[in-house]
Amino acid sequence: MKIKQKVLLAFVLGFFCFPSLRADAAESSGTAAAAQKEGKLVIYSSTDSASVEPLLQDFKSLYPFLQVEYNDLNTTEIYNRFVAETAAGTGTADFLWSSAMDLQLQLASKGNALSYASPEISGLPKWAVWQNQAYGTTFEPVSIAYNKRLLPADAVPQSHADMIRLPKEKPDLFKEKIATFDPEKSGVGFLMMTQDAKVFPQFWDLAKTLGSSHAKVYTSTGAMLEKVGSGEHYLAYNIIGSYVLLRQKKDASMGLVLPKDYTLVFSRVAFISKTARHPNGAKLFLDYVLSKRGQTVMSEKSLVYSLRSDVPGNITAAGLTKDLGKALKPIDVNTDILVGLEQSKRLEFMKQWQAALKR
Amino acid sequence: MNRALRSLAVLGVALVVFGPLGLIFYQSFLSEAFFFPTAHLSFEAYRYVLTDSGFHSAFGTSLIVSLGMTLISVPLGSLLAFLLARTDLPGKKWLEPWLLVPIFLSPVVLAFGYVVAVGPVGFFSLWSKALIGRVPWNLYSLFGLVLIAGLTHVPHAFLYVSSALRSLDPAVEEAARVAGAGVWRIALTVSLPLVLPSILFSASLIFLLGFELFGLPLVLGDPAGLLVLTTYLYKLTNLLGVPSYHLMAVVALSIVVLTFPLVYLQRRMLRTAGRFAVIGGKGQAFRPLPLGALRWPAVFLLVLWLAVTVVVPLVGVTLRSLVSSWGEGVKLTEVLTLGHFRDLWGYPNLVRGIVNTLLIGAIGGGLSVGFYAIVGLAAHRWQSRWVSLLDYLVMLPRALPGLIVGLAFLWVFLFFKPVAPLRTTLFSLWIAYTVVWLAYGLRLISASLLQVKPELEEAARITGAPQGEVFRYVTLPLIRFGLMGSWLLIFMMFVREYSTGVYLLGPGTEVIGSLIVSLFGTGALDLISALSVIEVALVGFILFIALRLGVSLHA
Repeated sequence: MKIKQKVLLAFVLGFFCFPSLRADAAESSGTAAAAQKEGKLVIYSSTDSASVEPLLQDFKSLYPFLQVEYNDLNTTEIYNRFVAETAAGTGTADFLWSSAMDLQLQLASKGNALSYASPEISGLPKWAVWQNQAYGTTFEPVSIAYNKRLLPADAVPQSHADMIRLPKEKPDLFKEKIATFDPEKSGVGFLMMTQDAKVFPQFWDLAKTLGSSHAKVYTSTGAMLEKVGSGEHYLAYNIIGSYVLLRQKKDASMGLVLPKDYTLVFSRVAFISKTARHPNGAKLFLDYVLSKRGQTVMSEKSLVYSLRSDVPGNITAAGLTKDLGKALKPIDVNTDILVGLEQSKRLEFMKQWQAALKR
Repeated sequence: MNRALRSLAVLGVALVVFGPLGLIFYQSFLSEAFFFPTAHLSFEAYRYVLTDSGFHSAFGTSLIVSLGMTLISVPLGSLLAFLLARTDLPGKKWLEPWLLVPIFLSPVVLAFGYVVAVGPVGFFSLWSKALIGRVPWNLYSLFGLVLIAGLTHVPHAFLYVSSALRSLDPAVEEAARVAGAGVWRIALTVSLPLVLPSILFSASLIFLLGFELFGLPLVLGDPAGLLVLTTYLYKLTNLLGVPSYHLMAVVALSIVVLTFPLVYLQRRMLRTAGRFAVIGGKGQAFRPLPLGALRWPAVFLLVLWLAVTVVVPLVGVTLRSLVSSWGEGVKLTEVLTLGHFRDLWGYPNLVRGIVNTLLIGAIGGGLSVGFYAIVGLAAHRWQSRWVSLLDYLVMLPRALPGLIVGLAFLWVFLFFKPVAPLRTTLFSLWIAYTVVWLAYGLRLISASLLQVKPELEEAARITGAPQGEVFRYVTLPLIRFGLMGSWLLIFMMFVREYSTGVYLLGPGTEVIGSLIVSLFGTGALDLISALSVIEVALVGFILFIALRLGVSLHA
């Protein structure tokens, strides 16, 4: 074989040996190529397996070479496992995605997050990105769930002011019939209530009303929705809207109210671990979750309210803005929420809460 | 087995027990997580917990629950064991698998079963309201919690006592019968006193389990404002923002500390253990004691217990799995659906999760029982201080509440370099499970070993058999009921397990427990119920087969 033919043969063979160099679905084929070399991605996430399945399937169709190890853990387990594994220097998650905004920001602010400017940043609101390290990924309203069968239409609170007024007007109807989070036992519950206190000047009146109607406190959304569905309670205060939507698919008598005076908006926070063993796979996944394609799948198939303003449909930021406009109060993804993790402030809030509930 | 091997076995147990426990102990004296560089020695955790009124009241409530639970479950369990193992109670063959359902059903599912069945708007409650205008019971109360906890722990006592009863030489009971004693008298003065070790063991284990209860108090106690130690611990994971390991460690140790007086009491009561050995050299066919006039009251008692403890929650769970909506204002006939089972079928990793659970239970459980048998034999017929050490050692891991145990094993496998490579394998999960259930599995075997009279083994030794062969050909076959019972119990415990291995599980090794927790996160109680129905059917079927095999081996 002549030299020229040998070179041509080598080039052709080489071309087929490195398929990642061909044009790919990835915007940054460099990242994809690096991810392919890594071959794997480890995720710790509090988004449950059933909801995340459409996302993972779609992601796999984009990057079939990437083996995704998805660990479905609750927010405390994610934190416990990540800090211990990082301290031990063993392999841990590359991508952390949790509903516990404060815990995620805590980890990120302590230097555990990789600085990565995702190309999708331009499609996200400014409050959702913290120092290119922590990213909000969803736009989920904090709502009121109620039982349509048993709560008469004129007794359904449409605002936080109603939540104070109605139980006072109809004490017998609401006695022991309201459910909400226990801020002592639930991190998410605490976060939502402290944000309530920040935004709503009459929050403590609301707390006292909850106390006087003997509201019951719980640690899980599931328990609350189950009890509202059965009629043991008539309404649940501060429930993440996405879960009510899931429930409404099966139970026609589950009602959803997005309070008109203000609706808190909460966002699941994601970050890439600074010591990730597969950082490029994590980058690909982050980009995907923040992309229009990923957010559309999230909204349409997983019934999780998406963050990007260009996603079609109602289970989206655009849909919510149309209905509620300025009433939407997103919880900013930044270190302000870490105030809630300060022991003295936290215990102070708990004391006030206990007093209001008269327990 | 020579001294060296015996000591090695005890040392091995000490190592695996002190691994996680030592870490917890160390952690309790620090200011924060032991692996944070800023952690320093501090008594702050002890000061906070011991002066917290929440801790005191939670401890008190746990104490009441544990005591009440033990007082209900042990007598009832022993009585049921006697009825099923020694008398001619009708229908006992197909009754036994049902008896064991509360053991392997996840406690949270069990609790929700009660809520659906007899909660404020439960099926039976609404019927009661329709019939008599009110609901005469309150599920969310201390009494309700203690009652349900006690009744659902009857199977634990039952398994221990029944296993020991089956190994009893029928000659003693025959002698009593010939002398004219009635069945009730024989039970109270002959059979049950002979199995006192098993009764006491189950009492102390159930007492400890009372402190470890989490699912029941979470679902039934929280709405009543009742806090037990485990739900107080749960509060500590969130109260200060990030999980406060040092505080949690102190609470865990407060329960561990309880094991010392428990085991001491146990050992004192059984000082003269020799009189409990009744598997003698003479074999005799077993004839069940005739109940006569007591037959139908006995059946009634059994059916009543079954109804309240098994039927009610199972009906609740099964109904929940078949309806799209339930409660006040819902017409049952309008909401029936098989949709949940269809949805469950499409759930990711479902089949793998179920298969994993059963395999870990059966195979892992079998291997664990092998380990327990070795430890049991090591302590058998050995007059040594090491044996008393063993008694204390085995109880310690079970005293750690589930919320802590998982963390402890994560830390052990992360920070102890020699075992670190095992962390990502199923072996780490097996070690964690085996250590946590050590007391349980071992006791069934030890109780059976106690029943074996020395003369049988001496006979073998006199004819020249080395100690190893004595164990293999004489002792082990004689304790096969203990081994079978142990395997059965461990299988069911492993099936239910979740918190111990939560940080050692991963994609590919998920189990039913992790599926349930994941489903609970989104409030999919309907899918959880469907999954539990499948679990009960599968495990119940396996149990039924196993017990049939066990029964035929006896003859």
